[in-house]
Amino acid sequence: MALALPAAVFTALLFLLPVTILLSEAFTINGEWSLQGYVDFATTPLNQTVFLRTLKLGALVAFTSAIIGYACAFCIVNLEGKSRGRIFGLVVLPLMISPVARTYAWIVILGRTGIVNDTIVSLGLSDTPIRILFTETAVFIGLLQLFLPLMIISLVSSMENLPRDVISAARVLGANWFQVFTKVILPLTKDGLVMGGTLVFTGSLTAYITPAILGGSRVLMLETLLYQRVNVANDFVSAGVIATILIVMCFAANLLLKRIAKARS
Amino acid sequence: MQYKWTSRLVIGLTLTFLIGPFLIIVLAGLSAGDFMTFPPEGLSLKWYLKVFTVDSFRASFTLSMFLAVFGTIAALILGVPAAYAISRYDIPFGETIKTIVAAPIIVPGIIVGLALLRYLVVPLNFTVTLALFLAHTALVLPYAVRVVSASLNNLRSDMEEAAVLLGCTRLGAFMKVVLPNIQGGVLAAFILGFVTSFNQVPVSLFLSGPGVRTLPIDMLSYMEITYDPSVAALSALLAFLSVIIVFIAEKFLGFSRYV
Repeated sequence: MALALPAAVFTALLFLLPVTILLSEAFTINGEWSLQGYVDFATTPLNQTVFLRTLKLGALVAFTSAIIGYACAFCIVNLEGKSRGRIFGLVVLPLMISPVARTYAWIVILGRTGIVNDTIVSLGLSDTPIRILFTETAVFIGLLQLFLPLMIISLVSSMENLPRDVISAARVLGANWFQVFTKVILPLTKDGLVMGGTLVFTGSLTAYITPAILGGSRVLMLETLLYQRVNVANDFVSAGVIATILIVMCFAANLLLKRIAKARS
Repeated sequence: MQYKWTSRLVIGLTLTFLIGPFLIIVLAGLSAGDFMTFPPEGLSLKWYLKVFTVDSFRASFTLSMFLAVFGTIAALILGVPAAYAISRYDIPFGETIKTIVAAPIIVPGIIVGLALLRYLVVPLNFTVTLALFLAHTALVLPYAVRVVSASLNNLRSDMEEAAVLLGCTRLGAFMKVVLPNIQGGVLAAFILGFVTSFNQVPVSLFLSGPGVRTLPIDMLSYMEITYDPSVAALSALLAFLSVIIVFIAEKFLGFSRYV
């Protein structure tokens, strides 16, 4: 007990306490207990747009990464020992590299004079460069690249526990590939899917760098909105409201994960 | 046969999407021109060299290094005993303590940064550097506890019991028997903590004042003002640094076992 106490006290005092005070600030206006901050926040059209956009992008990124993740994880699990380790290493590698560097690359690719636009113009598909940067598409691509490895890792580790014979058994018994996926693979790997999905979804909801670089003030998400409210408007009530929304969503996702982990063991 | 090619195609496309952008960054940084373009206008190393002469990059690199090294060491000093207590003893409120220590992973960093700025730096006169140091320590702590716990769980506890029976003190048994056996885990925790802290952006966002900036924050504000290839060059250098660290760690520690 005494050994674990310093770590717990340190985190509780220097981390949880300030965050709790910040959250409580959203419930007090001019020193009085009130829900007005939430009402004001919810009735502002910009905030509604940003909130829905954040949820939409999070869900879209999680869904797309699940599709790519299944295809990729299935192929990786079927590789031979040595090349499997190597490919898996390459998938994990981007997680160790600065997200700023990872996101910056997309400016070079998607910008006005970027690779994509150069190709479009030289192929004659459009006379002028089209706007990709500072759109939801750009943010979506950036987030997908940032979080896809988490999904692949989760799916690979849950597919490794899948007995090889069940797929051939289903095939022999006449199932086509679509049925094999929906009736055999999906039910047996749903823990991995939920785990990867939660990581990707909460990661996208709380992303700052990607929407800041690739979305700018045109495509605000909850975190960039929070930053703007504080830095531009000194509006700590809205900041507290956004913080509460983010924390509630993250903790809910984590509870879900814990429940699954418990049910498994 | 057909499956083999489909499989290669799927893996190839995914890896191109995940890693391709880095290759582009590396090449864009090699440009001889003054603006970011791809393919680069001519080849030169001037932007890679320029990175080392920008004062603000040097200052922010030093700060980030300081935070990553000492924040992680502080997290290990707090975290190793905690991991030991959690994995060896059935302590009261064990679950609560675990939840508290793990919280910094779940709470979004931007909120932490704002909270520390408003309630530690402004009213209590903490310096920004101190607040950054505390925030980075708290952030790395959960990783330290998790990785070290995992390697303690793989270590049989009868060895330390034997040492104690033979007359060693508890502390002595920990230092002489346990620590040498979990040093791989502690080192892996250090590397993971270092990389996490060094790349950290959201926590430092509000906690950066004039003259006190971590490297990623400095890069963010630099790229808002200028569009020259130096940020690409710096990004490429940082990516290389991470790759080398992870490669060495994998080779000598089997790093991925711990992550």
